[in-house]
Amino acid sequence: MTGNSILSPFNAVKYLFVKPKTIRYPFEPKEPAQRYRGFHVNDWEKCTGCGNCADICPNQAIQMIKMPELESKSGQKNERPRLDYGRCCFCGLCVDICPPGSLKLTRDYFHIHFDPKTFVFIPKDQKTEPGKYMSAEDYSVLKASLSHRKKDYEGFVSDLKFALFEPDRVTMPMIDPDVRKLSFIEQVVGYNPEEAKKEASRCLECRLCEEACPAHLKISDYIQAIYEDKPEESLKKIYEDNPIPSICGRVCMAYCEQACSLSIRGEALSVRWLKRYAADTIKDFITALELKPGTSTGKKIAVIGAGPGGLSVAYFLRLKGHEVNVYDALPGGGGTMRTGPPVYRLPLESIDKDVNYIRSLGVEFIFNTRIGKDVFFEDLLKEYDAVFLGTGNTKSRSTKVKNYEKCELAFDFLSDNKIGKQRKVGKEIIVIGGGNVALDVAREALRLQNIQYPGENIAVKTVSLEDWHEMPATKEEIEEAKEEKIQFNPAWGPKEVVLDNDGNVKGLLCKKVKSVFDKEGRFAPTFYEENEMFLEGDMIIEAVGQAPDFSFIPENLFEKLEFTERKKVKVDEKGMTSIRKVFAGGDIVNVNLDAVTAIADAKVASVGIDAFLSGK
Amino acid sequence: MRELELYFGPQHLGMVGNFSITLNVEGDRIVKATANPGFLHRGFEKLMEQRTWIQNFPLVCRINVVEPDHMELMYAMAVEKLAGIEVPERARFIRSIYLELARIGSHLFGLWAYANMLGFDTVANWAMYHRDLVLDLFEELTGGRVYHIYIWPGGVRRDFPEGFKDRIINTLHTIGSCVPDYDNTFFNNRVFYKRAKNIGKITCEEAKRMGAVGQVLRATGMKQDIRKTEPYAAYDQVDWEIPVRTDGDAYSRIWVVRDEMIESVHMIFKLLDKMPEGEVYNKIPNPFKWKIPDKDAYVRCESSRGELGLYLVSNGGDKPYRAHFRTPSYNHGLTILEKALENESIADVGNIMISLYITAPEIDR
Amino acid sequence: MKNTGQLLKEKLLLSFEDIQAEVSDEHRLTVNCRKDTVITVLSFLNNSGYDHLALISCVDWIKDNVLELVYILTAYAEDKGKAKMNILVKTRITREKPGLHTVIPVFENAEPYERELHELYGIHFMGHPRLTPLFLEREYKIPPFRKDFDTRKYVQEVFDQIPFVEDKKAEK
Repeated sequence: MTGNSILSPFNAVKYLFVKPKTIRYPFEPKEPAQRYRGFHVNDWEKCTGCGNCADICPNQAIQMIKMPELESKSGQKNERPRLDYGRCCFCGLCVDICPPGSLKLTRDYFHIHFDPKTFVFIPKDQKTEPGKYMSAEDYSVLKASLSHRKKDYEGFVSDLKFALFEPDRVTMPMIDPDVRKLSFIEQVVGYNPEEAKKEASRCLECRLCEEACPAHLKISDYIQAIYEDKPEESLKKIYEDNPIPSICGRVCMAYCEQACSLSIRGEALSVRWLKRYAADTIKDFITALELKPGTSTGKKIAVIGAGPGGLSVAYFLRLKGHEVNVYDALPGGGGTMRTGPPVYRLPLESIDKDVNYIRSLGVEFIFNTRIGKDVFFEDLLKEYDAVFLGTGNTKSRSTKVKNYEKCELAFDFLSDNKIGKQRKVGKEIIVIGGGNVALDVAREALRLQNIQYPGENIAVKTVSLEDWHEMPATKEEIEEAKEEKIQFNPAWGPKEVVLDNDGNVKGLLCKKVKSVFDKEGRFAPTFYEENEMFLEGDMIIEAVGQAPDFSFIPENLFEKLEFTERKKVKVDEKGMTSIRKVFAGGDIVNVNLDAVTAIADAKVASVGIDAFLSGK
Repeated sequence: MRELELYFGPQHLGMVGNFSITLNVEGDRIVKATANPGFLHRGFEKLMEQRTWIQNFPLVCRINVVEPDHMELMYAMAVEKLAGIEVPERARFIRSIYLELARIGSHLFGLWAYANMLGFDTVANWAMYHRDLVLDLFEELTGGRVYHIYIWPGGVRRDFPEGFKDRIINTLHTIGSCVPDYDNTFFNNRVFYKRAKNIGKITCEEAKRMGAVGQVLRATGMKQDIRKTEPYAAYDQVDWEIPVRTDGDAYSRIWVVRDEMIESVHMIFKLLDKMPEGEVYNKIPNPFKWKIPDKDAYVRCESSRGELGLYLVSNGGDKPYRAHFRTPSYNHGLTILEKALENESIADVGNIMISLYITAPEIDR
Repeated sequence: MKNTGQLLKEKLLLSFEDIQAEVSDEHRLTVNCRKDTVITVLSFLNNSGYDHLALISCVDWIKDNVLELVYILTAYAEDKGKAKMNILVKTRITREKPGLHTVIPVFENAEPYERELHELYGIHFMGHPRLTPLFLEREYKIPPFRKDFDTRKYVQEVFDQIPFVEDKKAEK
């Protein structure tokens, strides 16, 4: 085995004449690899302060620190991560979980200092702190520290393919556009339990959504309950803040989804569909929720309007033990929800499910009763301890262009089709407006056309002042309308309704829009008057906004009612209007004009009413 | 002659790692040796019970400084088994290549320790330099030199960077071209032969009885390797041989290590040739909501020191309920070492200990 | 044809009365037995060719008030079927004054494992030649790897008393 010569080890002598491999540091720098995991940088513009990095850090090296100079807004917390390099192990879990991809590791790794406090460090990047990042010429190894680092020196960065979160949403099963436009079938099928669990598992529990939600629902908690396959728990959590989940699960504006940290690089968690899943899975709310009205206080409250605001206020006050009567002119609950959203988005059964549950708690509903006609507002004021106004916007605005009388109004059109007699529609319909209501009208009109003129040539066109990017309708809604082949004419304003010799509608003359908003962001459209376009059509529907109807309030009281600059009813922090005993909420108070904001108003008002009645 | 008690380590020049042996000696003959571990006990297994499944990844690799990669693999494999996660084909190959690189790195480190111990400083420096080349590859692939945190359940954490294949091949050629130098100066060196031959001899029967694994077992003539018997990663996709020696002494053990390194180099070339394209990572569930069903799993692999195992228990929660690493050095250091040192001379303590390939962090955990 | 695990299971069930055996995922056999039969089961398995004791582990099921000992056996055999098998022999003992016989006569390498479990779980192995401390420096009232040992509390009690370097400097 040792047949080798005793001299053979001396072969190694040849290495005496080889250049040494040792790097003569610091004169000869060693460049770290492209993926090196060194110190952090954080892009403050992208960072949302969600705190996922702090949650996942195995060593608790990351803490979220409040930054007073930053403002908290929807989808943004004014917190930023702070690193403690005494604890950090440079594993990069924080990079892989970072939803916006703002937190990165660089290839820098030098920091020598006598003061241990300098090892605790709030990472920013070279845009925010240019003084600390040196170009290659200015950089010196001898000065290297956390405040003397190389420019453009990113190392281990986030990669969506390897991220620890799932950027893609579980696809919601939808009825095919070509099928759904033929009838009023509900277009969203709804998740099955597996899909719902899978979707719920995407939630990172950063709770940015809860801050963005006007009613501050405990979103993370109810999604966690769905993930754990406990829909009852989930529904209970929802009912703490929102008594109309079947409605909100379908038509909520979903501010939560806009704030969702997953939406930055992927698709937002479908919070709304999950709420709908919880509400739809439970067939019997009464046994599942086990809620009981509080001990009777003997106080009576009248709620005018059974819309989302009215329903919520009734629910919250009933739980506190007050007696609540809800008045509404319609034959059922839901208010605008009952008349507005077309059946393919919000079926009547879903509304009745929520209303019936609130009724089961002991709230009395008095339907088919118009205040000011069947019952008088003054009488309510005398009879009840408090009155809540949740009347909302019930009148459609008109464009008031020439011959506008020949046009249909959006609310009447939607309302008739949903709870009244189906309208006869034209073959070529023009819808004026670019909001969600306009798209509802357009899509509903399309369905009516398909029912009334099967197989014939039909068209629905929308005209909106706003261009694509400023259109107030949600992206989702626009996408769905496009799928159904609704034609869009953005950035055109109506000039005149053109009539033929018999006085029937022939079409709409439009003018090009220069700008919609003025410098202060107020609505003040300007036009290129000479740039015209003619749209043919035999029916025009205006969906350009809504207005409240206060005709039920007698003049002597109406005088006392104060309004804000934006023509909204002025309420104090308790939800009380300038008239004593009268509280208000919903579309007549807020500018968001949606269900969840009405619930938020209702929460405020219910607390206010309760305090008012108990004399606090 | 009077019997003396002699403390060998933890602060002793001949001792590698934080380990200590109490020797009862008569003259320079050892009568009885008592292993005395615990200088590195960090309670990793208890720590693991208090961290979520994902947070344990940066932790497990730190159990063994010399070879963190197999620790990562064990934890990932156990989690995959418990949670039922599949690994894509390409990721299996990457894992194999990565683990073989780790084996080469670890063996070179062992070679450094052994050569240094016997006074072959030249060889020790070569081994250290070549290990550094391997670490450079790791740095490029994973972003870390020593603790890579690269193997994840469901695959690996990042794909190969561009041109990485060529750099692996280059590095391995550099190391391979030095094998004749290593042979001439060390493995075939008469001085080394005299120092290592018939030292710390263990027969095959004894080895089996005392739970020997890895090189210690293969040096006694037993052809056993978990990469063959219970193949994981992509080891069943290529042909390779288990190097075996029959004498069971320190000399055979080091020769097995040498042959294994060469076999690993060949294996990496074969794996690189056969490596398919495709995905390298199946997404794991959301780490904040990740719960693993109420089950237990025992997984094992062939680390550079022998059979490494992990017994992992979940009680359906978001953290492991119990984790217990079965490490190769445990029996080597606590059972076999005491036996092998009997009747040897004091001068050979380090020699035997390093040839048994004992690393203290593995024993203590 | 039955695989190695199934055959072994049948053999075991024939030889012993009060044990449960279960073959899960191809090459894993789990055997549950009483604490007084565990040695005979282990020596039976040793004689059947599963001669490598890979690990003795312990799990503290505090809710059931038991400690579960897990002996993991594999084979040194070159026979493919046998070498693949992992056998987990489990036995449950009470948490109060836990004790059972040592398996050193069957597997010599059980010695350090049993020492470790004695130290970390407080299990007394009867007939073990040296149940002396292995890793730990201090004595503990509750063995430290048991679930009721509160690591955080222990750290606070022992180490939080030590003043920071800066505080020491300030005192001077």
